Amino acid sequence: MNEKDAPVELCLEVLRRLEDAGVLRGLVLIGSWCAYFYPDYFGGKTTLSALRTRDIDFLIPTPPKIKGEIRVAELLEDLGFIPDRQGEGFVRLSHPELIIDFLVAERGKGTDKPYAVKALGVKAQALRFVAFLAEDTVEVKSRGLSLILPHPVNFGLQKLIISGRRADKDKRAKDRLQAIEVLRIVIERGEGEEIRQKYRKLPAGWRKSIVVALKTTDADDLKAMLA
Amino acid sequence: MAANPVKGVLIEELANSERMLRRYRQALAALPKGSLVAKKIKGRIYYYAAYRVGGKVRFEYQCKLSEDQVAKRKKAAGQKVKYRGLIADLKEQIAFIRRALHERKRRARRAVP
Repeated sequence: MNEKDAPVELCLEVLRRLEDAGVLRGLVLIGSWCAYFYPDYFGGKTTLSALRTRDIDFLIPTPPKIKGEIRVAELLEDLGFIPDRQGEGFVRLSHPELIIDFLVAERGKGTDKPYAVKALGVKAQALRFVAFLAEDTVEVKSRGLSLILPHPVNFGLQKLIISGRRADKDKRAKDRLQAIEVLRIVIERGEGEEIRQKYRKLPAGWRKSIVVALKTTDADDLKAMLA
Repeated sequence: MAANPVKGVLIEELANSERMLRRYRQALAALPKGSLVAKKIKGRIYYYAAYRVGGKVRFEYQCKLSEDQVAKRKKAAGQKVKYRGLIADLKEQIAFIRRALHERKRRARRAVP
């Protein structure tokens, strides 16, 4: 990993500040940045594709378990982040090297409105399917930080589920590529049974989405495992 | 045509950069005009906003400013420098991504017999 990489440096600085402010433990780091930190969870011997967008997504379990109150926008203002209010009402923090999004799980229809998180002073975006990521998390020690990430199996399966909902075929391909990479490492580590077990517990519609997503890939090992 | 994850990322990032550029320009425009200059006249400090009009520097008297207001103006000056640098970075990013996307198109066209 190239530590001189500007987005990586900035990402680590943001995480350090959130940790110093005592809020990092209340957030689950999700999205493509997980692929940067998973090698530390897997023992540092693996590498994952560096293909990712600038978005760094933080999932806030609801109700938030964050102690105290901070204003994230002010905490990161001197780094050059600016609040960028989106049409839907939620706010992201933008910087040319990194875009910070705060997300909460959308539970049922009509709950897709922005969710005000007082503890952070932000309005989070409500999204479907992200609750599955917070159902099973792992703690990853990386670069002096203690991060909460989704269990790699949850990460991979969720990416496969949402890939089918992407309108853009290139984004769909990126989600599937990342999912398969992570799930294959889990299999290589001899933990394939966990993929099978978690898959079986999913709702039928989600299982179908996974099967459909895998059909378009060359991941025959995964297809056979989940058949 | 087969799906291309790299192209997907480039297109998404181009849209992000263009949006961000607009936001930084708005943020820059919202900051106070000129830089704050303190002048000591007959033992007293007077504050002026200095900015260029054509080739000349104009000084505009800022009335009495409290310590808090001065601190805010100094902070805004720092933000201006930061935002200008980030705007330059964004312009570079946009040019780079556009070049990369067009290069892909050119190569694809050349590959067609």
